[in-house]
Amino acid sequence: MLAQPSAPLVRLAVRAYPREWRRRYGVEIRSLVLDRQVSWADLFDLFRGAFDARLHPHIQPRPAFAAILTRGVPIPAPTRPAYGAVPSAPLAVQTRRIFLRRMLAAGIGIVSLEFLGGTLAFLWPQIRGGLGGKIAVGTIADIGAKQPDFATGWPYSYPPARAFLINVPAAEALALGHPISMPNPTADQLLALWRKCPHLGCQVPELCDELKRFTCRCHGSTYNILGEKLKNGPATRGMDRFAVSIGADGVVVIDSSQITTGALERGPEHLVFTDPHPWDALCPY
Amino acid sequence: MPNDELIGDLGRFAEPALLVLVSLSSGPKHGYAIMSDVASFSGTRIGPGTLYAVLARLEQRGMIAPLEADERRRPYRLTDAGAASLDAQLREMGRLMQAARLRLPHLSG
Repeated sequence: MLAQPSAPLVRLAVRAYPREWRRRYGVEIRSLVLDRQVSWADLFDLFRGAFDARLHPHIQPRPAFAAILTRGVPIPAPTRPAYGAVPSAPLAVQTRRIFLRRMLAAGIGIVSLEFLGGTLAFLWPQIRGGLGGKIAVGTIADIGAKQPDFATGWPYSYPPARAFLINVPAAEALALGHPISMPNPTADQLLALWRKCPHLGCQVPELCDELKRFTCRCHGSTYNILGEKLKNGPATRGMDRFAVSIGADGVVVIDSSQITTGALERGPEHLVFTDPHPWDALCPY
Repeated sequence: MPNDELIGDLGRFAEPALLVLVSLSSGPKHGYAIMSDVASFSGTRIGPGTLYAVLARLEQRGMIAPLEADERRRPYRLTDAGAASLDAQLREMGRLMQAARLRLPHLSG
């Protein structure tokens, strides 16, 4: 028999202690055992201490820093659990668990709120301005300043609404070859033609100077100055129109959410507005 | 006993606990110093397992407190509660000794 127990046996004895004990006293006990000659009695005493620690789970060593911080004032001793009862986790572990759980819950909550907020912001309709909503063009005087020929029937192109604003009586006279001046058209004398060709959606170009017609460059669909379909080209109806109104302040407003399809509803006799040029005449551009 | 709740339920650790308290009453000591000190003044050898079982119990009762560790050794100090408890225990033992001397006069020399 050896005179004293080997180091692995001593380590085994230290490992026999509960975790909380090892965490608190493991270093101290190992250092103590190294400092002196370890006898078999000491080894037995260590095993007995480990057994005792497991037998009395209500004696829970606190972390040393906690004991130092509280200056040795004992935490209220937990009541000894009833036989068979599962000992509850020590206070420090409980508060850590609660803290971690709350942090996890808060994190999930924040991410959910961000996701919800992002989804709502993405789906929120934004039709206050731009195509799809009401678009203020300006007063008749503003339009006249930018397009002096508007009074004599030339279309005014307004890109934000993707529309031609037409002064209907003057435009008709212009197309018929005897222009008139119509400086103050009323709201029902205005027409907003959507510059999207009803055939396949190309942008309808500016008015052809020679013929006073619109001809789509994509497939040659041709419309007169009021957007009515002429015989040339594959389109099946006239250009679509937005609702137009003039506010109390005199500002012309195009409501691009209200679209009327097809030709002007002016009765059969005006369904195709006739101009002096032959139906198959092509714009030179 | 007046300090029944403090020392009374220590069971087999009651006697080494008293020895540890006496040892710490002369100043803070770490584990190995306590063991050597106890061996020198009482001749009792406390094993490491017993020592830490006692230290854990005394600390839980607030009678001793750990200090900052010096490398791997951690010193312990006697708290006010520990000093009071030690004082009460010594008084109790003194009364017991007095009674015993009165009953066995021939021993009092």
